[in-house]
Amino acid sequence: MLGFILIGIFILFMSIGVPIAFVIAIIALLGISAAPYIPTVTVVTKMFNGLNSFVLLAVPLFILAANLMNRGQISQKLINFSIAIVGHVRGGLAHANILVSMIFAGVSGASQADTAGVGKVLIPNMIESGYDKETAVGVTAASSTIGVIIPPSIPMIIYAGLTNASISSLFIAGIVPGVLIGLGMMLVVYILAIKKGYPKYERASLKKLFKLFCESFPALLTPIIIIGGIITGFYTATEAAAFASLYTFLISMFFYKTLKLKDIPDILVETLTLSCLSLFALAAASALGELLGYYQIATIAEQFFTTYITQKWLFMSIVIVFFLLIGTFMDAIPAMILFIPVILPTALKLGISPILLGIVTIITLAIGLVTPPYGLCLLIAAQIGELSIEKSFKTTALFILVILVVLIFVAFFPNIAFFIPQKMQPNLF
Amino acid sequence: GCGSKEVATEEAASKPIKIVAAHNQTSPENPYQIGMLKFKEVAESKSNGAFEVEVFAGSLGTSESELVEKLKLGAADVVVVSPGFMSQTGIEEIDLFALPYLFNNYEHWGKVVDGEVGKKMAKLIQEKSNNEFKVIGYWTAGVRHYYGNKPLTSMKDLEGMKIRTQTSGVVAKYWTQMGSIPTSVAWGELYQSLQQNIVDGAENAYPYFVQQNHHKTDNGKYITETGHDYTTRFLLANAKKFDAMTPEQQKTFLEAADAAVKAERDALYAQEEEYKNIAIKDGAEVNEIDRAPFIELAQPLQDEAAKEIGIEDLLKQVRDLK
Amino acid sequence: MIIKTIEKIQLRMGVVALSIFFLAILIQVFSRYAGISVIWTEEIANYSFIWAIFMGAAVMVNRKSHFRFNLLSQKIKGKKKIFLDITVDSILLIFNVFVSYYGIIATKSFWNYRWVAIQNFKMGYVWLCIPIMGITMAIYMMGHIIEGVKEMKGVE
Ligand code: NA
Ligand code: NA
Repeated sequence: MLGFILIGIFILFMSIGVPIAFVIAIIALLGISAAPYIPTVTVVTKMFNGLNSFVLLAVPLFILAANLMNRGQISQKLINFSIAIVGHVRGGLAHANILVSMIFAGVSGASQADTAGVGKVLIPNMIESGYDKETAVGVTAASSTIGVIIPPSIPMIIYAGLTNASISSLFIAGIVPGVLIGLGMMLVVYILAIKKGYPKYERASLKKLFKLFCESFPALLTPIIIIGGIITGFYTATEAAAFASLYTFLISMFFYKTLKLKDIPDILVETLTLSCLSLFALAAASALGELLGYYQIATIAEQFFTTYITQKWLFMSIVIVFFLLIGTFMDAIPAMILFIPVILPTALKLGISPILLGIVTIITLAIGLVTPPYGLCLLIAAQIGELSIEKSFKTTALFILVILVVLIFVAFFPNIAFFIPQKMQPNLF
Repeated sequence: GCGSKEVATEEAASKPIKIVAAHNQTSPENPYQIGMLKFKEVAESKSNGAFEVEVFAGSLGTSESELVEKLKLGAADVVVVSPGFMSQTGIEEIDLFALPYLFNNYEHWGKVVDGEVGKKMAKLIQEKSNNEFKVIGYWTAGVRHYYGNKPLTSMKDLEGMKIRTQTSGVVAKYWTQMGSIPTSVAWGELYQSLQQNIVDGAENAYPYFVQQNHHKTDNGKYITETGHDYTTRFLLANAKKFDAMTPEQQKTFLEAADAAVKAERDALYAQEEEYKNIAIKDGAEVNEIDRAPFIELAQPLQDEAAKEIGIEDLLKQVRDLK
Repeated sequence: MIIKTIEKIQLRMGVVALSIFFLAILIQVFSRYAGISVIWTEEIANYSFIWAIFMGAAVMVNRKSHFRFNLLSQKIKGKKKIFLDITVDSILLIFNVFVSYYGIIATKSFWNYRWVAIQNFKMGYVWLCIPIMGITMAIYMMGHIIEGVKEMKGVE
């Protein structure tokens, strides 16, 4: 009964425009004050404790790194280089858009910074070069989802914190699906380009290519240093995040000289305001998670699933459909905080490794970044391209198909998708 | 819900008293869970329905500091916590139980916690927490040993090794004095860190590190039974809630706690054997070492720490029981 | 006017906390590679992080920047829209009164708890960020409601 009332209030408050993080916190407050034996003060202590975790410290660090890349015009260098490489193919700018997102993903742990940074440059550029707005916005939004799939990845770090799975294993496992999604999107662009006759650039001369390569070399090095460092165990995820920020700061300050000391306060404010939104939502979700924990929802779910669902594939399908729905109106981080503890025991019982569950969850929730009504990357791209959400979503949907195909491949053929990481760390899969 | 959690005595006779029992381990086979389930079984069956116990295995929080906070606020009634997390409540004396080589073996440990020292500590905790925490039993999370990339033959082998252990307090000091570098690594990341040379070794009890497969890594497969810490865990109850019970209920409550203590320790001892055998079967190498030089090094540190927190008498009592 | 000042101070506090956080992390990383163990960085980083997030979150409430669905508020106009905004702000105000109240209770309860690495530091200073967040958010919401009511009168 209480559950139904709370769900009713949830829907009502959501639809009248109460901020989502607050709706979650209010539901937690109401639920906990109605539940016997939990003092209401638990709501605030749980919000505090939800943030009191070492793994979360990587979040603002990665956001800082991405902000520095955009501010220090490192994104611009990467874009120039990508255009030089793939610009001569039909639909070159669209290909470059995807390629730069893949490189950007190797530094940034979030997707929004990529949409904003790359989109600001490439969306106007594409429209000018004769692409229709829908494609410019769609490619930008969809390709930026790779940001959370190719490591480093903030959702992976959060997931690891929730499940005690190893961050570096998750990171390694994300590389192949991330690259596959990028290549798949390029294939779609290729087909579209031929059908619609997208423009192409003249092939860059070897000399120019070499010059651009040298110019962007320090920037290109960033993902290699970061991913390489995490895989070889040179540093932990939080350290990698710190290092990414420091490195981008140093090269844009002293090598490119595109950053000035007076830019720093602005970058800090930007980093704070961006980080605090998802982290406050996370704090609120922790409070609601306490309520679910008190009612032992995870045990109930486990009993339910193990009675009615005994096949791995069926469970996986349910997880995917569920997170697809949740992702349309909720951020990946609170969604995981609320539901991963609920489904994890069942997954373990069915013999699904936490790494596999994590990758599947994260790819599924990445789709939520570009699905309306609440898809941040779609909203940002649409805003840059001055296009309605409905129209933006139309081309994006085509690329979502690519993500879905890769997702299904990973979920149901994990032995092929994780062949390399499995060889590297046999007892983690 | 809102407001006060105290259960009135008259009401208790008619309506069952709900007891929220929580610990931070999620595995159903963990000794904590076995102990808590025993508590539930005895408390419910012997009280004629006066108690209703619900056990939360990690679902009310997997960090110990959170469990302590919950106990204080009345969001949990019975919890298990380690000395390190208790001392942050300002009761420094608890650190006694975390001193390296305080105990020789389980027998010595048992004599201490179940005897006079255990009683004194319980009284101290109750007084210093303003009658908020009541110790109703002492549990253990096993005896901690070294494991790393080489077997220890003497203390010298530790020179320059990065060991995952506490990075503050007496424990860190001890490992530093032995020549190693205490390094902080999250528990969930330790497997990777061992595998990838971020640390050269770690220290823990068999059931804990074998379950995580640490013994299967190159940097974890040499186990030396240093036995530097026979760990103590506090089974704590909300003292106010306890005081509100009828004498008869209190008696049952404590009986249940005693049964839980026995069940938890038995389970732990059995698992320690079991997981040691698993480690050996998986190819890990176990060796023993003369503990005398290690104990000798620990003595002055114990003295120093005891003096600092003003528990020299307790330390002497512990030593006298050897 | 006063609200502007509060927001400015709060944003500065958040940025300072975030900077302390960055510095602590850098010190921690470097000290690990140098083979020294610096014990206090982890706690400093953790707690300044929490302060930064809660201060930032409060500022973002004032700026109406938290993620929300605005389908309904985009569809309606004029008086109805102002009324809807006032409703949402009132819900947030009530919630934040509770956050302030329970934040004070929590801060009082844990005031004398100690940090693990720096035993002289009290946990109270850390917990204080919750009531501060709650109270400032409540003030911001009152400001929004007062402005909404004024606007409502202007429409008539
Ligand atoms: Na990434
Ligand atoms: Na892109």
